[in-house]
Amino acid sequence: MEDNAELQSFRQQWRAEVEHRVHPRSAGQSQATPPRPSAAQPRQFPPTRHEASARKEDKDEDEEGAASYSQNELVQEVQQLSLAKPDEEDVFHERAPRTEPQSALEHFERAVQREEEGNLGDSLQHYRKAYRLDAAVDKEYRNKHYAGTWKKKASQAAPADESAKAAPVDDQPTFVPTPELIASFARFPILPAEPPVEGDPPPPCPIAHVPSEVIVEILEHVARMDPAAFCRMALVCKRFAYHFSHEQHIWKRVCQGSKFGFGAMHYSFACDIHGNPEHTLAPQPRYTPFPTDLPVQLPSPLSSWSEVFHTFPRIRFTGIYISTVNYTRAGAASAYSNISWNSPIHIVTYYRYLRFYPDGTVIYLLTTSEPVDVVPHINKPNVTAARATSRKHHQRNLPDVGSSSGVQDPVPTVAMDALKRAQWGRWRLSKPTSPTDPPEESNNSFPTKDKSAVPDSRDLVIETEGIGAPKYIYVLHLALRSTTTRPTNANPTAPNPSRNTKLVWQGYWSYDKLTDDWAEFGLKNDRAFVFRRVRAWGMN
Amino acid sequence: MAEDNQNMLSFLSNDGKTIDVPRDVAERSLLIKNMLDDIGPVTEAIPIPNVSENVLNKVLEWCTHHRSDPPSTGDEDDSRRKTTDIEEWDQKFMQVDQEMLFEIILAANYLDIKPLLDIGCKTVANMIKGKSPEEIRKTFNIQNDFTPEEEDQIRRENEWAEDR
Repeated sequence: MEDNAELQSFRQQWRAEVEHRVHPRSAGQSQATPPRPSAAQPRQFPPTRHEASARKEDKDEDEEGAASYSQNELVQEVQQLSLAKPDEEDVFHERAPRTEPQSALEHFERAVQREEEGNLGDSLQHYRKAYRLDAAVDKEYRNKHYAGTWKKKASQAAPADESAKAAPVDDQPTFVPTPELIASFARFPILPAEPPVEGDPPPPCPIAHVPSEVIVEILEHVARMDPAAFCRMALVCKRFAYHFSHEQHIWKRVCQGSKFGFGAMHYSFACDIHGNPEHTLAPQPRYTPFPTDLPVQLPSPLSSWSEVFHTFPRIRFTGIYISTVNYTRAGAASAYSNISWNSPIHIVTYYRYLRFYPDGTVIYLLTTSEPVDVVPHINKPNVTAARATSRKHHQRNLPDVGSSSGVQDPVPTVAMDALKRAQWGRWRLSKPTSPTDPPEESNNSFPTKDKSAVPDSRDLVIETEGIGAPKYIYVLHLALRSTTTRPTNANPTAPNPSRNTKLVWQGYWSYDKLTDDWAEFGLKNDRAFVFRRVRAWGMN
Repeated sequence: MAEDNQNMLSFLSNDGKTIDVPRDVAERSLLIKNMLDDIGPVTEAIPIPNVSENVLNKVLEWCTHHRSDPPSTGDEDDSRRKTTDIEEWDQKFMQVDQEMLFEIILAANYLDIKPLLDIGCKTVANMIKGKSPEEIRKTFNIQNDFTPEEEDQIRRENEWAEDR
């Protein structure tokens, strides 16, 4: 009997493991997005439930997952080329020198590749660039690949793939789980580099003589300046990798900090939608999950401060959130068009940008301008300047342009033109609740219809000014989600990307302050916002 | 020198040089301050076994500039940590070669001069930020002691902190 029970449990474990191996992704996903109780209406939300929130999250996860997956793959390709990965935290500066395709043909090839992967957004960009560089690029592509090169490439790729698959299998016996591997680094010294020419004296390496306590002090400063830099330190040598994972007090400070951590998260609006500080008769102390002046505890399911920083809902200020929308629209043939098709189909791409500020404000921008053109310029002074020069434009461009007005302006717009339509707003996260907390006070005028709904700490509320008339407020309800990634052939271990870098739509309304009316914006083409870091931001 | 003998101390560096120091300057070092509090007036030179003359001079230059700063306490710790900026004078002061920089850090650590240690660490942190791992290795002449597999494993494990 005992044997049986043991066997039984072994079987279960084994099954679970197999299951895990087969669907590592689904496991990760269910962890990342537990079933939301939010089928009920979110609190402090307008009376109607937005169709966007009813949509299956899976759909978004999948699409965006694919996008980020391919990006990861790209990163890995780069890494395989050279182990020294340049810091590529920024997609907006220095685009070209990376593995970005250069010639029209390369763009075309990349576009085909992306299309096969189902990543229409990227694919389109590359097609566009390819045609801009060379209008006859498709012929060139056909010549190249029908000459048989494509076949050869594929057959070359296959063995490479296999060897990649085979390598980790060979490594299997020596494979050490990462935590143990890192723990084994504890006593490693920092080794001085070897001399460039054999026999020369080695170059001076004063950091090798620095005691641990001082190394940790230095690392703490690095982490507080930029956690990403701390992460790169972990790749320098074993000793730093050990400290990265084991100096939890550094992570605690990062979590409490107000630059990258939770000290800058707002759980109630910090200002009005124009960014002016709000005055209340009885100002309440601002809520923060990990105050510095009180003893703080780890939130219950998490076991370390680095995990808190990794998984706790957090808005990033060091980059931009972009929602890219592609849709097709039948167009009429134009006399000026040099394309010979009779009835063209326009593929329209537009973007929504969100840039958050630690003071509780946010800039919202809906535009057809590409990220490379506008993103580096989205900041408060520019928006103020752009809007000061022109106040006439706001009539014609409702935020839910959807299928019509997004294409009104086929001429490429410079950043300032785009920024004329930027909207000011404010943001707040939902307060992570524990049963002992007093009910959250509603400090805005929105109707709270359903008190019973459980707020999700990953919910994000943004209010922006309306376009056209000051009586409107637009309310965006978004939710932080993680991008799901799949292990690839070349890379059997599941990657461990940043969490909560995606904002999925839950609803979008317009509120009329005068009549207390709510109107819903349809989000026919809505896509989740995805975070991209911008190097110049948040580094000073 | 206006200071009378009572307020002058002398340090003996590890290379055998004697340096005269006003007492309030020397007391920027908590190690020295606590020692003086413990043993009372000292007449002979205080040996500083871990620090050479040129580093000691550099450290004392800093202590002299900051002699009238409020003494560092536990409370100050937090406010000091809150800012990642370095004062202009200190920035200039830290424009030294890397060997000297780490010597200063080690001396500040040994002599227990927290604010100086802090500035030194911030200076090093500034040299690190924005660099790739390979660039960091080059900057400090550190050997890459990972195997490629280990490096890859660590990279994937820590990927989340890149925040992009």
